Amino acid sequence: MRKATRPLPVLLAFIFTGFFFSSLSDDKAPFTLPYKKAGLTDKQAAAHLLSRFSYGPTPGQVAAVAEMGPENWLREQLDGKMPDDALNQRLEIYDAIDLSNEQVAQTYPKPGQIIRIGVKEGIISKDSVNKSDKSEYRAQLKQLMDSKGMKPQQELFRQFFNQKILRAAYSNNQFREIMTDFWFNHFNVSLTKNDCATYVPAYEREVIRPNVFGRFNALLMATAKSPAMLYYLDNFSSSGANARTPDPRAAQLRKRVEQRIMAQGGRMDTMNNPVAQRLQQAKKAQGLNENYAREVMELHTLGVDGGYTQEDVTQAARVLTGWTVNPAITGYVNPAVQKAMANAGLNRQQRQGGVTEGDFLFAANRHDPNEKTVLGKNFPANGGMEEGEALLNMLARHPSTAKFISKKIAIRFVSDNPPQSLVDRMAKTFTDKDGDIREVIYTMVSSPEFWSKEALREKTKSPFELAMSSARALNADIRQPYQLYTWIAKMGQKMYYYQAPTGFPDKGHYWINTGSLLNRMNFGLALASQRIPGVTIDLAALNDHHEPESAVAALVTYSKLVMPERDIEATVKRLTPMLNDPNLEKKIDAAAGKTAPPAQPGAATMTEEPLMASAPAKKTVEQPLKKNAKNTGNNTSSYAPGTNTMLAQVIGIIIGSPEFQRK
Amino acid sequence: MTTRRAFLKSGGLALFGIGLGGLPSFLARAAETGNTLINPFKRRKVLVCIFQRGAMDGLMAVTPFNDQYLKAARPTLFMSAAKGGKGTPLIDLDGQFGLHPAMKAFEPMFLEKRLAIVHGVGSPNKTRSHFDAQDYMESGTPYSKGTPSGWLNRAVGLLGHEAATPFQAVSLTSSMPRSFYGDSPAVAINNLQDFSIQMRGNVKGASMAAKSFEDLYDQTSPGLLKETGKESFDAMKMLQKTDIKNYRPANNVVYPVSPLGNALKQIAQLIKMDVGMEVAFAESGGWDTHFNQGTEQGIFARNVSDLSNSIMAFWSDMSGYQDDVTLMTMTEFGRTVKQNGTGGTDHGRASCSFILGNDVNGGIVHQNIRPLSADNLEDGRDLAVSTDFRSMFSAVADKHLSINNDKVLFPDWKGEKITVMKG
Repeated sequence: MRKATRPLPVLLAFIFTGFFFSSLSDDKAPFTLPYKKAGLTDKQAAAHLLSRFSYGPTPGQVAAVAEMGPENWLREQLDGKMPDDALNQRLEIYDAIDLSNEQVAQTYPKPGQIIRIGVKEGIISKDSVNKSDKSEYRAQLKQLMDSKGMKPQQELFRQFFNQKILRAAYSNNQFREIMTDFWFNHFNVSLTKNDCATYVPAYEREVIRPNVFGRFNALLMATAKSPAMLYYLDNFSSSGANARTPDPRAAQLRKRVEQRIMAQGGRMDTMNNPVAQRLQQAKKAQGLNENYAREVMELHTLGVDGGYTQEDVTQAARVLTGWTVNPAITGYVNPAVQKAMANAGLNRQQRQGGVTEGDFLFAANRHDPNEKTVLGKNFPANGGMEEGEALLNMLARHPSTAKFISKKIAIRFVSDNPPQSLVDRMAKTFTDKDGDIREVIYTMVSSPEFWSKEALREKTKSPFELAMSSARALNADIRQPYQLYTWIAKMGQKMYYYQAPTGFPDKGHYWINTGSLLNRMNFGLALASQRIPGVTIDLAALNDHHEPESAVAALVTYSKLVMPERDIEATVKRLTPMLNDPNLEKKIDAAAGKTAPPAQPGAATMTEEPLMASAPAKKTVEQPLKKNAKNTGNNTSSYAPGTNTMLAQVIGIIIGSPEFQRK
Repeated sequence: MTTRRAFLKSGGLALFGIGLGGLPSFLARAAETGNTLINPFKRRKVLVCIFQRGAMDGLMAVTPFNDQYLKAARPTLFMSAAKGGKGTPLIDLDGQFGLHPAMKAFEPMFLEKRLAIVHGVGSPNKTRSHFDAQDYMESGTPYSKGTPSGWLNRAVGLLGHEAATPFQAVSLTSSMPRSFYGDSPAVAINNLQDFSIQMRGNVKGASMAAKSFEDLYDQTSPGLLKETGKESFDAMKMLQKTDIKNYRPANNVVYPVSPLGNALKQIAQLIKMDVGMEVAFAESGGWDTHFNQGTEQGIFARNVSDLSNSIMAFWSDMSGYQDDVTLMTMTEFGRTVKQNGTGGTDHGRASCSFILGNDVNGGIVHQNIRPLSADNLEDGRDLAVSTDFRSMFSAVADKHLSINNDKVLFPDWKGEKITVMKG
């Protein structure tokens, strides 16, 4: 039998440590993790670090991290510059995940937009929309999209989900991925809001991921200016009651653009034409929208008890009027009209003091120029875009923010109810080091509270973390990540669809409920018995193809492999009597035989291989990546024969066990 | 500790065979400690809520057909109640309001005074964003976004007794709806058949796995996982006594094959299984009719047909239980009075709700709507909100579930309940 040749992330970690370590270590002050004082061994410390700062250890990784030194591993992770060749190879097949916002809007229009374009260009007849026989209508739509090089939005989202899962499973920069998840959730945006959805993939890639270990104010500023956030919390539409009277030339311009649209056959009714829609929106003075101003204080910085009033919210909203999305990127209409429109608009904006920064536009004519006061700080009249930046920097540096953010980080990485002493220490670092997130994390891990009994194994894995830690523990080969996405949703975490700006609550009580817990157990059984299409594991290879001597030996061996450094005694003790039941195995295998897929020639029989699941479908494992990958992993993998063996069942039970739900 | 008292009253040990895993643990404990189980079961009231996501056009569902302003504003969408004209007429309810003909299933209920309609209902917050309006309506706090809990979760907390079973609040959706967020226990499940340990036909394997899981969760250190594990297995065993797959509704009712039909069918199953459910939640989609809304046929007609037929299938299936059940629909806002350029309607303000039950003050369109002349419209374009949704929700919660702590249910609200319920 050959071993799977796929390199393990941990091996890469080893190889590259030698090259990079010395240079990376120089710019950081030496630090020691106080785990020995807490009575932990190197391996126990490694297991704890991996449980919090990665999506779970891969086989052998705990020993490897203990060997290289937990401090060194952590420093490497905080630098986040490990090469990720294996991951990148898996991501190569996804052609949408690196597109800019503008490209996304052009290539993956919202469903309604496609229909509008089709009707406008006479390709789709209005009547066919409502026909009960939809096949002709669908064919028309598809033809239209093909002719314009457009694709269904759902395909974009699917690629986006897939990359998240693959990164979590295979990135060597595990902590960066964990922090990306953390900050995305903190600055939540949601695919449930249509206008926002288009911009979510680039939001994670360009706004969140590059800033996860940097200064908090940089992260805050980046989110504030991102189209995803501007749409999600409505600031794009917020304008001042006393905004400068519109330039008289603006009306002329509008007329010109309108004429142009008419000349191109576009009608001026708003539903048919997004440009017209925006024009009409612009005609109405929409006024102040407090949504973002409130949430930025309540959820992003100060916290609900951070000491602001309703008046502060209103004043802050006035400060942020005119912060909106660059019209050049907002969707497919007709490239020529769009461009003319955007350029004309932008020229006008610039004449009036407007500023564009990539996808962001400060629309000076929508900004309230008058004096404001927020949290006691005066913003004199005519402060322009800079006063909004000053406000956000002030919020980022506020003492309430230091406490609020420190507590949230401690809840994520220490326990659902972190000790106040720890939060205070982290908040002091936050303030002393001007919101340097890396420094705050150093303070946290250097504190005894992080290593205390009250913290170990105290957090409950989210459904995403459960799925990823299972896949990593079993060295799973994930060819159809979307299959895992649907399982994760079923377990209660429909990623990127959390509607409220609070993000998913980061507490065990939210994740664990009657419905979701059963689904976690079923997930374990499905994964271990290879019933999740496109996700294969090789149980024999995990144990170097040594066959355990007995069912009980298998239980002990694999419990240790899947849950390194955990107390497995209770699990083993509970399950042993069942495994020793002389009849049970036969019963199960007999039942399994009835339902197993047709045996392939030469498949192992029960008598030859009573415990081992035979190796998973080799075809999927050994095929070179690219061949397989052409159409975003839609290949249906065959189920391995005989996978309902006792071993698969035991491992399924371990994955679904209470001990494995903890981190 | 949860007492499980209410459930103990609800059924006998005999209900639970020696199926997979045996007795629910709380029943087994009760048996050991000699608790009697012979008390007659006092059936609980059930409130079923349906959220119509996307904002239903209340003016087309229940049309003030004498309103000439409406007729003028909707040249191709306005429907008449006059018989003998072109197309199917509206169902004249009271000489003023007409029910969309695709909802003819509702007509007998209205005549029997079990169905009430509340018109001009909506949120005081003027947002026309689906996202915000749903959020506000479900949290029950139209001016405060940070409210962590949903109004139905607070309602469960106010029922005045501890959760009898894991099924006190059940949402037949794949994720927990905003209305259910909060501290009281709630279950979200799309398909009751998922409520089991599954080994794809491998019954013995599943049985062994279930037993193993139950043991492991039972012996794990006290806390969330142990407690919830116990509840999960209890819930699973409770569901196992019924053949969910081969459920046969009463009166040979056939539910529409639609997400709402499936959800209501499963809600009916849970009610009949006496699993202790008191609040149920389901969703209906597709109401955002910006484009070619249709009249007696088309998108809107299909939607209201599914809505009314699903509800009436449920009601008929509930025969023998109808006194315990009240059903209420809600939607985040209504749509513009004027039709738009593509045969649809845009986001507006007030819409209407349907409330069905034997304790409902039915056969009436509860409303305060003024003629739809421009000066009566909100922001010059929309049917104004004349009934705060909280006046309606709180009236139903009060009468049907005996919840009258409005300070907790709807903090910041000081309005009056409407008389949509009897008594």
